[in-house]
Amino acid sequence: MSLIAAQKLSKTYRMGDTEVEALKQVDFEIEPASFVSFVGPSGSGKTTLLNLMGCLDKPTSGHLKVDGTDVSRLDTRQAAAFRGNTIGFIFQDFNLMPVLTVYENVAYPLVLVQKTGAKEREQRVLNLLDAVGMADQKDKYPDQISGGQKQRVAIARALVTHPKLVLADEPTANLDHKTAYRVINIMKKIKHELGTTFIFSTHDPKIVGEAEIIYTLEDGTLAKGQG
Amino acid sequence: MLDLLKIAIRNLLRYKRRTLLTASLVTLGVVFVLVFISVSASFKHMMIGQITDSFLGHIQIHKKGYVASIDNLPLTLSLSPKALARIETALKERPEIEAYSKRIKFAGMFSNFVETTNIRLNGVFPEDEIKTSPLFLSRIKQGDKALRIGEIILPELLAKGMKVKVGDTVVVIATNKDGSVNGKQFQVSGILESATGPGGRDGYIHFEDAREVLRMEAVEVSEIALRLKDFGKLHRVSNGLQASLDQELNKQGKPAFELHTWEKLSPFFNIARMIDVMTFFVKLMLMAIVLISIMNVMVMAVYERIREIGTIAAIGTLPEKILAMFLIEGLSLGFFGAVMGNILGAAIIAGLDMAQLTFDFGRQKGLLLSLSLPLQDILLISTIVIVISALASLQPAYKASKMNAIDALRHV
Repeated sequence: MSLIAAQKLSKTYRMGDTEVEALKQVDFEIEPASFVSFVGPSGSGKTTLLNLMGCLDKPTSGHLKVDGTDVSRLDTRQAAAFRGNTIGFIFQDFNLMPVLTVYENVAYPLVLVQKTGAKEREQRVLNLLDAVGMADQKDKYPDQISGGQKQRVAIARALVTHPKLVLADEPTANLDHKTAYRVINIMKKIKHELGTTFIFSTHDPKIVGEAEIIYTLEDGTLAKGQG
Repeated sequence: MLDLLKIAIRNLLRYKRRTLLTASLVTLGVVFVLVFISVSASFKHMMIGQITDSFLGHIQIHKKGYVASIDNLPLTLSLSPKALARIETALKERPEIEAYSKRIKFAGMFSNFVETTNIRLNGVFPEDEIKTSPLFLSRIKQGDKALRIGEIILPELLAKGMKVKVGDTVVVIATNKDGSVNGKQFQVSGILESATGPGGRDGYIHFEDAREVLRMEAVEVSEIALRLKDFGKLHRVSNGLQASLDQELNKQGKPAFELHTWEKLSPFFNIARMIDVMTFFVKLMLMAIVLISIMNVMVMAVYERIREIGTIAAIGTLPEKILAMFLIEGLSLGFFGAVMGNILGAAIIAGLDMAQLTFDFGRQKGLLLSLSLPLQDILLISTIVIVISALASLQPAYKASKMNAIDALRHV
């Protein structure tokens, strides 16, 4: 069964008196444990599609199923709970909580979203910090670590709830070449080890080059998919 | 909850200067209110104590209509022996009453054999009067701290004006209720300090002397002053006693007696009420300070952390958790301000108490202000601050919890 199934998915925004069609009748399916990249120029609908798959927004029309759930029918609270259990997010600007240490940032979803027991929480957080090479930095605050390290912490945070799907919006945009490859390799390793599906919205040829499936979006239309 | 508290406190410490300024404002407000409440309440309680313990008693019982004519000290509105016996029976049935004093109050002429003036006198049984008005003896500035038959204790202003000293012989002349005039010589046994309120400048003679001057064959009493064991039960006791006394009806079928608490008899009660009103407005000011300062900080906090709110919402934090996060932040700020305010306020009050502040009220000089800070005041003020902090944080917290994650994540 597909992890994500989109049928005639459309999203229209209203900007003043003008209606903007961000997505037009998009159809696609993504299998579990995939490494997928959505590429396209700015304004092509990549972020809109990521927001819909992440249950942060609702489609204007069409159907979207994530892990068998019709996410367009979820209310705000149900959508938050669904995200907390099924989806991990990696942001372009890392978006770590500045008042929490590296360890606490990774533990946050287990404490305030999933309420995991202390022992299991500690084990999961330390394992992931070890996997992303940040175990020795666990007591530092975000302003005490580099951009690449922040993104590795963000990856650990996204994975700590064992999500089936991780959505990453331009995850390497603020990283240098070497760090970007290191981050991509970590995600690929986790995909192989945990069977997590990674979906990227990106311009970055480094990620595009590593993706198993590439979807190109142009003016809200899915132009082509390359395997 | 502890995790939310930890995040809230870290966020407060993130903007140390702002947090310190706001907490200081709350602290200062709490200190100001506690000191005001302590000083005003101490003043109020001390004055009430002075008035009731000097001469008024906690409750007074008269024949119906007496208080309306109290300035004339009417002898025609005295309690008859029969009425007195019924009242005394009712009083003895009430264990809450510590003591009571029967008084014959009358106006007369006072002469030092050179000059004559008016005088208001109380005929009392000294032992009963001392039990009912414990400060009575301390008001005697000169002479014996006692009152025997044939002796008079004069108010100081009258003694000064008439140039009378302790040991001098004076004459009191009075008209009784039948219009008959009688006089009696007295030896001045003491000079009495004035007290605030009605009756505060009266002289005292023995109850039996009053009967003799007024040629009173049967024991008739103008008023009965009562002292309670627990002043806090004033209204409960007075209501119970009133209900008992109301069963005694006069010939017109109306209650034969009237009962008044000190509040109805002393004009200081209006000052006490004014103090209560001022205290209420001071508390309102504190509420306004807390409300505005904490709401301001929390609105700023939400505005500054829009992207963070978007992030935690995106990763699955439920709206009520986001609301709780900001609510706890505002509450922590208020709680910290309240705790600091209580500590500082208690220290200032203790310092003022040690400084032995005195004040004058009316003709009473050098009254010592004994400051205290009751636990219920601390709890009340702390509760006000914490509840208002929660209310002040509610709107910003609600706004944060309802924020659209996409818009919040886009916020720059």
